[in-house]
Amino acid sequence: MLVLAELVAGLGLLFIGLKAMATHLQQATGRRVRLLLRSATRSPVVGLVCGALAGAATQSSNAVAVISGNLVRGGVFSTRDAIPIVAGGNVGTAALVFVAAIDFRLLVLYLVGVVGFAFHFKLDRRTHLKEWMGVALGLALVLLGLDFIKQAPRMLDVAAFSGVLDSSLTPLTGFLIGLVASSVSQSSSTPAILVLALMQAGLLGLDDAVSIVLGANLGSGIAAVFSAGGLQGTGRQLCYVHVLVKAVGCLIIGAAFPAVALFGLDPFALLDEFSGHQASVSLSSLFLALQLAGAIPVSFARGLSERIAVALSPPTVEDSASRPRFIHDQALGDAATALDLTISETTRLIKLLPTLLPDLDQTDGGDAAERLALWRGAAAVALAIDNFLSDLIARGVARDNLEIALHQQSLLETVRTLQDTLHDFTEVVEGFEDVPPLGFALSESLRAITLSLADATDGAAEDLDDIIAIAGDRSEMLNRIRRQLAASALDGGSDTRQLLLATSLFERAVWLVRRSAVALRAPRNEANPEAPAHADSERVEADAHRA
Amino acid sequence: MHIEREQVGADVLLKVAGRLDTPNAKPFEASLMEVVSMTDGGIVVNLAGVDYVSSSGLRALLVAGKAMRGAKRKLTLSSLQPQIREVFDISGFSTLFEIN
Repeated sequence: MLVLAELVAGLGLLFIGLKAMATHLQQATGRRVRLLLRSATRSPVVGLVCGALAGAATQSSNAVAVISGNLVRGGVFSTRDAIPIVAGGNVGTAALVFVAAIDFRLLVLYLVGVVGFAFHFKLDRRTHLKEWMGVALGLALVLLGLDFIKQAPRMLDVAAFSGVLDSSLTPLTGFLIGLVASSVSQSSSTPAILVLALMQAGLLGLDDAVSIVLGANLGSGIAAVFSAGGLQGTGRQLCYVHVLVKAVGCLIIGAAFPAVALFGLDPFALLDEFSGHQASVSLSSLFLALQLAGAIPVSFARGLSERIAVALSPPTVEDSASRPRFIHDQALGDAATALDLTISETTRLIKLLPTLLPDLDQTDGGDAAERLALWRGAAAVALAIDNFLSDLIARGVARDNLEIALHQQSLLETVRTLQDTLHDFTEVVEGFEDVPPLGFALSESLRAITLSLADATDGAAEDLDDIIAIAGDRSEMLNRIRRQLAASALDGGSDTRQLLLATSLFERAVWLVRRSAVALRAPRNEANPEAPAHADSERVEADAHRA
Repeated sequence: MHIEREQVGADVLLKVAGRLDTPNAKPFEASLMEVVSMTDGGIVVNLAGVDYVSSSGLRALLVAGKAMRGAKRKLTLSSLQPQIREVFDISGFSTLFEIN
């Protein structure tokens, strides 16, 4: 009973520790990992190395794939560039298996003590130490869990138990056990570490361990695809790259064993000899070899890998819409250029606003799924611009440029709120089985206003004055409409409630259009020296508020 | 959509009938712009026969309105049906045109 309890406790500590480590490592190193990955596109080798470092730093190949997917969708690099990074991420996760191979009992005890004292003296309240203490606690729990697992079989008859395991485990059952274990834990390193513990306890031989680790390797790739859920397009492509790395690694290493045997050699004996007859070194070396055997060919044949991934998961409308067309990291070096690009990108978002609304001229109002994808994409671009501006401001810019940057941030905030309001309005309109006349008038009016705003971004300043005029206060008219609706809502019709909501969203959207036009009316940049002076913009804004 | 053109003193009267929707918006805008460029008086657009106006129709009127304002001339809309007037009021486009 004690054996089982120690085993269960060990597994529990291992899972909690791995989760805590991955979470805190990603918090502590996430920004640096992103910066590292952004510079990882020069060659497949650089991508592999950077990916391996990122994988070692986060201890999660999934995290590397997710960050890379976001950078691809953000237009920082292409799927092709991301392939060596994702492949390298798998190599990096082998670091934990090597750590687990060390005889760490004494280290665990000291680590638990140090972490405990640090928490007692409230060092975790210091911002720069907080995450690293979380990492240390996670590592301590992982190592403590492994120690429990290794100590659990001490009361068993190891020889008899390993005999039972030896007789019941075939290469196929071992492979399947690894496959299931990694699918459950969504990690290939966790089952590998468990196998390592069983080997160190003398319960498992190298031959059985190899089949389990091969199964675990393939299983974690498949688990990544399942855990991707409804993810489509670019995000899913990188999951398939992940599977490809795992599958190619399994094929090469799996084929290497019978190939060596064909030459009359014992592959297990060779591996044992290579690792100095240390089971832990054999297994961690095998794990690393599996990752490298998958990562290297997939990275160097990245054209083929990309074609396979794209065929399995073609790019979506959202992928395309999520990609900024103007801003890019290299532009951050020159503030004036960076601001010009920000203005162009924000203007592009304003031009896209009408696409977030249904076109009721079409009998079906257009494709709702495509509109949703466009809204998500536009929101992603807006977030990218916001981050870009924050990075620019953090670098320190001259006063004039700082004013423009802050003005752009303010405009962007309005545009982001407008995007969300238009999306909410669209959802209400799409909720009608048959759009009532008032719903039609509100929807087509809002579409006309946003179309005019989009046109005005290219036009003269007077065009923006027109927008400011048509987007003026209409609360009296809308209140009258609401009163009429409320009177007719006594029968409790759901259409009436939807119409009331639509009028509120319409009013908010029109107010945001006006704010955007007022902000656009006063752009000042080196590229646009003839724009109205600051006083003019204040006057326009004051006029708008008065109105 | 059907457009009738009539000279009334110095102004041009355009009688429009049908739907001002996406398919008709471009030809309607082209007709308006032709009148804008070939005459130098005011333009009155009679919308009594229009029973449907969409965002594309409003936009076509806005383009013509801008061109007329640029030429310091007047574009007037007349005889709007109630549901069409409501769209103009809700969209705020009634602030840009004189409506009789």
